Order: sequence, then C-alpha cells, then structure tokens
Amino acid sequence: MMTPELLEKSLAFVGAIIVGVTAIVQLRNDWAAKGLDAVVTKLLLGLMAVGCVLALLAAINVVGVHHAS
Amino acid sequence: MAATTVAQFDGHDAVAVRYHDVDPVYAETRDIRLLGFVLFLVSDCVFFGAFIFAYLYLRVSAPTWPPVLNGHQLPWFDTAFAALNSVVLFGSGVTMHFALENWKHLNRRKFTSWLIATIVLGIGFLLGQAHEYSLVLKDVSWWGTTMGASFFTLTGLHGFHVFVGVIYLTTLLIQTNRGVYTGSKYFGLTAGTLYWHFVDVIWVALFFLFYLW
Repeated sequence: MMTPELLEKSLAFVGAIIVGVTAIVQLRNDWAAKGLDAVVTKLLLGLMAVGCVLALLAAINVVGVHHAS
Repeated sequence: MAATTVAQFDGHDAVAVRYHDVDPVYAETRDIRLLGFVLFLVSDCVFFGAFIFAYLYLRVSAPTWPPVLNGHQLPWFDTAFAALNSVVLFGSGVTMHFALENWKHLNRRKFTSWLIATIVLGIGFLLGQAHEYSLVLKDVSWWGTTMGASFFTLTGLHGFHVFVGVIYLTTLLIQTNRGVYTGSKYFGLTAGTLYWHFVDVIWVALFFLFYLW
C-alpha cells in the first residue's frame, strides 16, 4: 500500500535523479566556461548535484535512517 | 557595437554577444560588481557558518541526540518529506540555470518560462517548509530545546533567504519585461542566478545536518 512516506520518497527518488542528472549535464556543458561567475556557477552546480545524491540516498533509506544515540 | 534591446532578439536563437565585446566600460564595472556580489555571498556563507558551527557544538556536546525533554526523547525530523522538498529546491536551481542560459542565447520566451518555473518552485519550497514547521512544532518548540532553537534558527534564516530570493526573481521578471536588461548587459540576471544557486547549496548543508546525520 502506498503510504504518504513511500509516496514522498518515490517522488524524491525520481526528482533527485532528474535534477541531479540535469545538473551534471549542465556542469559538463559549462565546464570550459571562464570567468568568476562561471567558476562560482560550476562550484554551486556541483554542490547541488551532491545535494541530489544525498536526497536520492535518503529516498532509498541509505542515509537518514536514525537511531537515538 | 550598440546594445541590442530585448524586443529585438525576442524569439531568436542566436548566441548573445559577450559583454566584453560590446562595452569596455560596462565590462569593467560589471566585473567589479560581480566581485562585490561574490564577496557578499562569501560573507553570507560565513554568517550561516557561524550558526552551523554553533549547532555542531550543541549537538556534539549533548549527552543524547535528539535531546531528552521531560523524560521523553524528542523525535527525529521527517527525512522523507525533507528529501522531497529538497528536490523541489534543487530543481528550482536547475530551472534558474536554464533561464539564464536561454537569456544568453536570446530566447526570451523560454527565459520567462524557466524564470516563472523557478519562482513557483521557490514558493513551493517555502510552502513545504511551512508544512514541515507545522509538523515539527507539535513535538519540538523553538524556545524549549537546543535542537528546536538550532533547527528553527538555521532553517528560518535559510527560508528568509529563499523568500528574499523569490522577491528578487520576481523583480527580475518584471524588469526583463520592461526591457531593463539586454542581450549583452544582464548582470542582474547573473547575480540572481548566483544567489539562487547559493541558497540551494546552503540547503544541501542544512539537509545533511538536520535530516541525514
């Protein structure tokens, strides 16, 4: 049965793949660009792709599965 | 070479003329303004960093995490919804990138569409954050525990940045419709894109610290 949590994780999973792949493709397209704005944009796009990987891992319960310390 | 107006290249898919080829004076002031804007982002990064390190100190020095309040251990935050909301914000970063690229390639209609999509996703993230707050406040108050104080301070500060960003992007949308920017002079759009990417990246850190770690 589709619980709200499963639905959220499914949407996060699909969305993270789409957004992450798009960010990486854009990063690759802009790789040769020069200038301060291009460098900062590349850095931020890369970090955003990392964020997508984190969201993806969270969606499949690899990270964020908590136990009280 | 004279600057091209917005109306002149609307709908065309030609590569925009780089600003350095157009107006040396503008190029110089643009570079100075860009440096200033990047320094502003760095200072904002330090601002967030101070709060993040305060949170790290509180968390590491706490005997248990989540903290115990009145004999009950506080719950963890909802990772599933946060992951979905994060994807919404990251998606807005990609749409903003597309918007700027379309402006550079003189596709004004696509630029407008992507910019509107960015604004909508930004508002969606804020609504998601409001929903998250309504759930978290049932268990964790912002004044009662270090966990709540850290969470609401940092995510609230970030949410304020997103709110300002939405206003900023809406202003850019109005300005572009009024022809303020051209195919060769569009520093405001570049700054808006950098700001929005910055807001995305700050959320990567907060998402990891509050929901995944």
